[in-house]
Amino acid sequence: MTSITIETVSKSYGAMPVLKGLDIDIRDGEFVSFLGPSGCGKSTLLFCIAGIEAISAGRILFDGQDVSRLAPRDRNIALVFQDYALYPHMAVRDNLAFPLRQQKLGPDVVRRQVDWAAGLLGLEALLDRMPAELSGGQRQRVAVGRAIVRNPAALLMDEPLSNLDASLRVRTRTEIKRLQRELRTTVAFVTHDQEEAMVLSDRVAVMNAGVLQQFAEPMTIYRQPANLFVAGFIGSPQMNFLPGDGAPGGHGAGRLIGVRPFDLVPAGGGPGDGFALTGELALIEPAGPVHYLDVDVGGRMVKATCVDPSGLQPGAALTLTAPRHTLHLFDASSGLRLAS
Amino acid sequence: MSVSDDIGTPRGASIVRSPAALRKRDGRVGRVPLFAYAAVAPTLLIVLAVVGVPLAYSLYLSLHRTNPITKTFIYVGFDNYASLAGNADFAAALGRTAYFAAFSVAGTTVLGLAMALLLNERFFGRGVLRSMVLVPWAMAPVSVGVLWSFIYAGNFGALTGLLNDLGLGGWALPWLGDGFRALNLVALTNVWSQAPLTALMLLAGLQSMPGSLHKAAMLDGAGPVARFFAITLPWLKPNLLFISIIATINSLMAFDILWIMTRGGPGAATTVLSWLGYLTSFQFLRFGQGAAILYCLTALSFVLAIAYFAILGPRRSRPGARPVPPTVDGGVPGARTLAPMAVLPPPRVRPRLPRPVALGLARGGFAIAVLALVLWSALPVLALILMSLTPASDLIRTPATVVPSGLTLQNFQTVLMPSSSGGFSTSVQAQRVPLALINSIVVGACVSLVCIVLGTFAGYAFARHGRSRFFAVSLWGLLLTRMTPGLTLVLPFFIIYRGFGLIDTRTGLIIAYCSFLLPLSAWMMRSYFEGVPVSLDRAALIDGCSRVRMMWSVLLPVVRPGVIAAAIFCFLASWNEFLFALILTSTPNAQTIPVVISGFLSQAQFYEYGPMFAASVLSILPPVLVAFFFQRFLVQGALSGAVKG
Repeated sequence: MTSITIETVSKSYGAMPVLKGLDIDIRDGEFVSFLGPSGCGKSTLLFCIAGIEAISAGRILFDGQDVSRLAPRDRNIALVFQDYALYPHMAVRDNLAFPLRQQKLGPDVVRRQVDWAAGLLGLEALLDRMPAELSGGQRQRVAVGRAIVRNPAALLMDEPLSNLDASLRVRTRTEIKRLQRELRTTVAFVTHDQEEAMVLSDRVAVMNAGVLQQFAEPMTIYRQPANLFVAGFIGSPQMNFLPGDGAPGGHGAGRLIGVRPFDLVPAGGGPGDGFALTGELALIEPAGPVHYLDVDVGGRMVKATCVDPSGLQPGAALTLTAPRHTLHLFDASSGLRLAS
Repeated sequence: MSVSDDIGTPRGASIVRSPAALRKRDGRVGRVPLFAYAAVAPTLLIVLAVVGVPLAYSLYLSLHRTNPITKTFIYVGFDNYASLAGNADFAAALGRTAYFAAFSVAGTTVLGLAMALLLNERFFGRGVLRSMVLVPWAMAPVSVGVLWSFIYAGNFGALTGLLNDLGLGGWALPWLGDGFRALNLVALTNVWSQAPLTALMLLAGLQSMPGSLHKAAMLDGAGPVARFFAITLPWLKPNLLFISIIATINSLMAFDILWIMTRGGPGAATTVLSWLGYLTSFQFLRFGQGAAILYCLTALSFVLAIAYFAILGPRRSRPGARPVPPTVDGGVPGARTLAPMAVLPPPRVRPRLPRPVALGLARGGFAIAVLALVLWSALPVLALILMSLTPASDLIRTPATVVPSGLTLQNFQTVLMPSSSGGFSTSVQAQRVPLALINSIVVGACVSLVCIVLGTFAGYAFARHGRSRFFAVSLWGLLLTRMTPGLTLVLPFFIIYRGFGLIDTRTGLIIAYCSFLLPLSAWMMRSYFEGVPVSLDRAALIDGCSRVRMMWSVLLPVVRPGVIAAAIFCFLASWNEFLFALILTSTPNAQTIPVVISGFLSQAQFYEYGPMFAASVLSILPPVLVAFFFQRFLVQGALSGAVKG
């Protein structure tokens, strides 16, 4: 219900810059993830939006209005913390009611709204429990409930799933997506998990060292990474990078060729026109739907995939191919993507 | 121990039998190693012998009427207690004790909380201020008493002098002359010296609070005041419980500053129970009745501790909330009939001061608060140092002034080099200072050494086997000794020591101090060991260490900060101790520095203020150094619940 505009925002702790001139425009009702390795400034950016941290330069606008100098409580936003920050001495009901009571709403409204949030998140049976008596997943839901209960202009989430175990994490992220669709809230979501970011978001902002690397739809980021950092960070296992002059195809020195393991398969039967590499198969790693192949190509380990490893022998020579259109070309010095 | 130890047991049995049953069948499982018993044995035996026996003896005394001259004991049952019930002096002292304790507890809690909140903020010079704040608590109560009794002294005191200098001489009063005012001033002095302890423990609580709680409340729309009451105060509740108990016991047992400042007077205006017990026992020599009074005091502190627990103690979540139907974690609630969303009014727009104004006001207020704290903590101590450098004759000028006519080291010369200060008559008392300093150092060092060696082993055993009944019970037994006033013990000590020829020996003092500092060091080391993962013990044992080797090579290096903290606390407590040193020594041979300082007050030669202040400055030197160089170990000590008795 609010658009968030981040205009050349910088933030430094003393002489140490954390955010360097960020420009991000989050549309009304959009789900945006801030993705990056730890220490890249993504949580700091979120706290700046919330107003918990003051920005050193630039502006933050909500619906076109400058809120940079407003106190957190005057911004009408909610934040779900990584450790959930549930008030340990209050029952779930009081945790949910706390933001409403701070608005001096009548007990009637508070009760109705708490019931609404509890119903939405399936917390009805837990309302009288203390946070210490809840499981991790339940705490997470209470934290989300407390955030949405007063219908904030925007919902900010700081790695809210990182304390859950793997299977619960996948289920909960579906829940969050559904909730966001239902409430049509603007959401800014911080994560270091690329899969989480891709699945959830309308757009992903990839950050590194306080600088925005790319801000685009998830599949655009996957298919057309803007630079070497994004290419290496998105996609697991990591993209293979080969020097342009060493690789067949003559892409020239000063360039790097990037090819994702999923695009690189053993040759034979496939389209023969593509890019090819020959090396010695070092290791076969079964991973369920596919097998990963570690291939030693001229002293450089290259990762490839195959569905059926029968007939492959570690130690034997192996030729790998990838369709030409799946290759990514980067300038080796600037790291920027080159039109292929 | 844990489940992993059950590997050796037969499969079939482990399915049906409870772990307890298993433990009985198989000696290896869950058995407390002999090493653990050996580790606590010295501590328990010493405390039992040195505290348990005197405690029993004073109970025996309280049931008798005694005649110290003919050494006859007549069994009177509970007569000593019964006679207290109708005793007007006792009732009045009880009332004054209640007032004194209420004043002290309320004062230390409010002030300590304010200090802790200030010191929890980040600002330039916070570390120095933290150290500064600790000094009034780290210095000996005797020095505190000496300092404040001079500040309040009638015609020539520092407060009167300050008022004169400011041209407000008309406001000066005989501060300690009026009964009720004296009681309040002594209680205020007690607050001055005890509030830092409260601040230290609350600071530890504040630092353990996750930062996200306040951020969350801020975003939920709570202002600073609402956050303090809704978040900070409930978070500190467990700390406050502990602090109230400690502060109550400390103020019930307050004795040293009374001895120095008012000696129960004027009249009986500051005669609280501890002083009445002392008077009855040691001035009127009615040992039986005195012991009865002190036993009442002990009982009172027990009852209050239990009452605090009942009121402030941890509570299980509301009954009736349970049982809760189990919900599938994270399960998507299926077909839901959603309650409709309430219609919320638009968010309130708060009236706001312009940001620069608000920020300026906040900064200004904070600076004033910090300045007030600096003055409160440091000014009296600086005054003490100034007075020690003032010519002795300046200190008894009338009209009084705080501006010295000059600065001199004469006072220090008098007490440190008594023979060489030619021309200046050195009193007997001043000549005792050098030896007293040496005695204090020797006693403190020995006590610390004994306590950390025995306390570390005991603490280890308590931390690792606290759930075994023997250890749980003995740990509580040790804790209870901290609730008994030293006054209750000191008389039996005196009588027993006389039998063993330990009166007037440093050995005697060392044994006495170990008796109440061993439980403290064991308790501190226990909480430190609890922070050390058990896997470290197991790794050491698997790597082939014996238990002793494990302690020495693996655990001791890990817990070294805890050992240092315990050593510092024991040294400080023994350096500052007054009561036992007063009663158990009568000649300079073993007298410690607090006793010698108090002696200045008892002697006739009354213009010895200069040397007395010099001796006081020397006596606060180690505590001040500790506060400034080992501040973080003191915080460590407060975290583990150590307290000066």
